[in-house]
Amino acid sequence: MRDLGPQLRRGGTPAEPTARLATGIPEIDRLLGGGFPRGRLSEIAGTASSGRTSLALALLARSTGAGEVTAVVDCADAFDPGSAHSAGVLLDRVLWVRTPRTPQALHCAERLLEAHGFALVLLDLAIPDLRCVPATALRLARRAASSGTALVVLTATRALGTAAEVAIELAPARSHFTGTPALLEGLDVQVNLVRHRNAPGPRTATVRLRATQAA
Amino acid sequence: MSSDAPRTACLLIPNLPLVAELRAHPELGGEPLAVASGPGPRAELIAVSAKAARRGVLGQTSVAHARAVCAELIVRVASPALETAARAALLDAALGVSPRATEAPRSAGAFAAEAAVYLDASGVDALFHSEAGFAAALCARAQRLGLPGNVAIASSRQVARIAARRLSGPGETFLLAPGREAAFLAPLPIDILDPEDALAEQLTRFGVYTVSGLLALPRRALRSRLGPEAMRLVELAQGRETSAPLPAPSSARLLEAIDLEFPIDRLEPLTFVIQGLLSRLLARLEARHLACGNLTLTLQRKDGARDARWIGAAAPTLDLRVLVRLVCHALESHPPQAAVEGVSLETEGRPIQSDQLDLFRPAGPAPAELGRTLAELEALCGDGRIGSPRIADHHHPDAFRMAPFQPGTPHTPRQSPGPLAGSLAIRALRPPLDASVRVCHGLPEHVRSAIANGRVIQLAGPWRTTGSWWSPEDHFAFDSFDVQTADGTVARLRFDHLRKNWKIDAVYD
Repeated sequence: MRDLGPQLRRGGTPAEPTARLATGIPEIDRLLGGGFPRGRLSEIAGTASSGRTSLALALLARSTGAGEVTAVVDCADAFDPGSAHSAGVLLDRVLWVRTPRTPQALHCAERLLEAHGFALVLLDLAIPDLRCVPATALRLARRAASSGTALVVLTATRALGTAAEVAIELAPARSHFTGTPALLEGLDVQVNLVRHRNAPGPRTATVRLRATQAA
Repeated sequence: MSSDAPRTACLLIPNLPLVAELRAHPELGGEPLAVASGPGPRAELIAVSAKAARRGVLGQTSVAHARAVCAELIVRVASPALETAARAALLDAALGVSPRATEAPRSAGAFAAEAAVYLDASGVDALFHSEAGFAAALCARAQRLGLPGNVAIASSRQVARIAARRLSGPGETFLLAPGREAAFLAPLPIDILDPEDALAEQLTRFGVYTVSGLLALPRRALRSRLGPEAMRLVELAQGRETSAPLPAPSSARLLEAIDLEFPIDRLEPLTFVIQGLLSRLLARLEARHLACGNLTLTLQRKDGARDARWIGAAAPTLDLRVLVRLVCHALESHPPQAAVEGVSLETEGRPIQSDQLDLFRPAGPAPAELGRTLAELEALCGDGRIGSPRIADHHHPDAFRMAPFQPGTPHTPRQSPGPLAGSLAIRALRPPLDASVRVCHGLPEHVRSAIANGRVIQLAGPWRTTGSWWSPEDHFAFDSFDVQTADGTVARLRFDHLRKNWKIDAVYD
């Protein structure tokens, strides 16, 4: 028995591999083991210019590009249709819910999860003074599990605690202004995987986000 | 029974004022109730409930007399709004089982209080197994809408109506076999065919009192002496259909209204009244297999003004809770300026969306469930805040528009994310944040704001954007800069040439 060592594991049915929603950004998909898990609550935390919105739009683009129906619950009223279109998001497959207050946003997200059929619900709570009760986050996580929807929450600082299956923190690393006259070419962001049940490899990565013409 | 013979059903309510009142106030069902022609003790009772009749209250007497007979009598003034809604609901009950139906002409005299609809009952055996099953289904449907009525089926409308009148209690049905009309009508008085007054007088003078007496007269002589009206009566007596075919209604506009007994000046009791209207409206829509679309709420104010509001529903729904919330939201955002003494709700019935899966597309939300969800979210967030984002055809940097969310539209899925993955996105700030900017040689040097602070480290721009110069309200002229401040934030800063101020309208994120 002693020699078996790492080959021993707890009994029971092995968990089925979770379906994942890729972002299309290789560094982040590698970090997350294929993407954000479907049917789970994930958290993307970051300050202004940390790249959280770009990452969220990349997810939307990937999901809508595959013909899936998605929803953005926008508590910050920060969704920019032009920028989303430039990022490759098919806008006709996005339901945009503009809620002025956090409790309403949480209720809307819960209602969308109950409706079943949304592949991705993006809940933008990246607002100052966010108050998210842990019980609410746990309820959202349960709803996401029952609906099979990937619920991704954007926050300014980590707020969902252990309710999130995956949590990443982003921070601005460096901006690139090039040419004469100068133009914003891109932004380097530092991605830090702070919570993941089965982290496949490295826990940090640096990603270059390139400015498009419309952005 | 031949299925080829045209058959007409008549759904009849003998006592409409009373039924309309009970439909709006079902809690009065077991009470001695009477409906008066107007306010005041001298008004005449035009309808009396069975319980009131058992207590000795008679129709066509004054309110004062009736109260003297029965002290507990509840008297309501007849409401044209309630009666109109009840007549429309009767038609909805008919349209729930037959595609062709129409309201029967209103009668006068002893039958002035009745309401009736005619509906096509030809070939109903296939759906309801028999005409009896059809009549029972029609009765049950009307009962569900709070309209207990009788149903008779015959080969012509008039005979069906006469047969329905002869039924004693609500919920009774009568089937008159084809060819039996003349025999059925023969012993009845001639007045049941509703002849014109002059013709009725002439027939009485001739000693013709019953339908059989009329049928016994020679046709040619009858035509030459009494004219075509007499021949019309003969055709009716023989059970022939003389009217044009029944129409299929093209519009599905439904109206529910109520005249309030006392003006209401607070929102809570008004919401309670509207909830009752909505529940009746939804029952009618359900009877017609439709869902509720946009609503028009009209409030008749005490000061004489009419307050009409359009309430948009994101998707057709039959969810009462959602619709009540939508109406409450509309009322709370713009409360009525005076007490309300009448309320009406109108809607266009829309088909209930059915679920149809697509072989070539990932399954999205079921249309019916999505409709309910959208309506609920709109009620929660407000009008115009739910939809699919669209890029507006405009040069203003903040311009966008919302379109109805219709994910069912087919499209070709894109197989790969393409070269766009990892593109830098903009995070809009609505409304743009005020910024205090120190300028050096026309370029921002230092920024202070709620989101970006410090010395400007890197900068690109300016880019001038102007537009709508022909409109003083919409005219804009901005100089935009992409700036990175010392705290690491990369923001889009703009100088408004018209208002002479600096704002941050977006952050690169």
